[in-house]
Amino acid sequence: MLGTYDFCGYYEWTFDWLEREGGQQLLLDYWVESISNDSQRHARELIFRDGFAGMLEYWGHTLAEESPDLGYTITHRPDEVVRFDMQDCPSKGFLIRNGLEQHHDYCDHCVGWIGPMLEDAGFTLDHAHNHRAQCWWEIRRATDLTPASAPGELYAQDARLLPGWSADGATIDTWVRSTDPLGKTSQ
Amino acid sequence: MSLPYHDTKPQGAADFYFAINATFRFLEGRLGRAGWVRYLQDMGRGYFAPVNDAWRVGGLPAVAAYWRAFFEAEPGGEVEIHEREDEVEIEVRRCPAIAHLRVGGREIVPFYCTHCYHLGEARAAAAGLTMRLEGGAGSCRHRYFKPSAGEAPQRLEAIREVASC
Repeated sequence: MLGTYDFCGYYEWTFDWLEREGGQQLLLDYWVESISNDSQRHARELIFRDGFAGMLEYWGHTLAEESPDLGYTITHRPDEVVRFDMQDCPSKGFLIRNGLEQHHDYCDHCVGWIGPMLEDAGFTLDHAHNHRAQCWWEIRRATDLTPASAPGELYAQDARLLPGWSADGATIDTWVRSTDPLGKTSQ
Repeated sequence: MSLPYHDTKPQGAADFYFAINATFRFLEGRLGRAGWVRYLQDMGRGYFAPVNDAWRVGGLPAVAAYWRAFFEAEPGGEVEIHEREDEVEIEVRRCPAIAHLRVGGREIVPFYCTHCYHLGEARAAAAGLTMRLEGGAGSCRHRYFKPSAGEAPQRLEAIREVASC
């Protein structure tokens, strides 16, 4: 039986299996069709119906369930922007702690399913992750041209200000006003 | 070793069952039933290799210890492990996956329960064992034991299809 306790372990293994089986397109299709449209349809329903309030409700529940130690924070400016900072992502953190790495970039799966959902709901995304269980997200309406905040501007414990954010040659993948799973630049 | 990987929380998040069910639907739709079975068999031999190795070394007591720890870490199940000299029986009175999918109002792939056989048999074979499954759709019985010449093969008809509600 497949269980939930080590879900992230075989989820990550599955990314590699799919890419070997059908190339990158099969994996991208999986994130959209299977995760975004099917598994996480409750997120879609909430965010399509309630917008920013739906995001706060969805991620407030799911992150509390996945990370009861609160390795994350959610901040927002009402009706303007929702921001997440992951100081210790429960999902990538599980993989790092257990030495699991089959796929070349596990963290891409988040934009892989969240990006298309936000685009369909009329939102856009600024996001970066450092592959060390740390990332940040800012979600605004697609019609809002406000750029991403400067480090610390919206939240004092901004992930970008963490001591390990860019230390020791960490590769940081960044999306700027993009919901495209392939829309990142790496630095 | 009981579980090969460890998390900071005692149990997994039940909503991950939604993703498992959706993944099965996607794989069967794209690759057919045979492709989905191959996925499970590859996972059983690959991802689960550390568990298979522990079973091969530790035999049936290691199998029993694994499943006890496994179900302690799953949210919402009701399971009893019967450890006998020649087999380990896992009596699932309330499957946590099927229960959560039903509570969540999800359309469950009707072949959901056969994944336990395809995955379980691949893992058992890698450990020098075999497994059989009967029941399904919310309650079932798994048996792990050493293969013998007289043992009847698994009948897939013995595994019930799942209705969503």
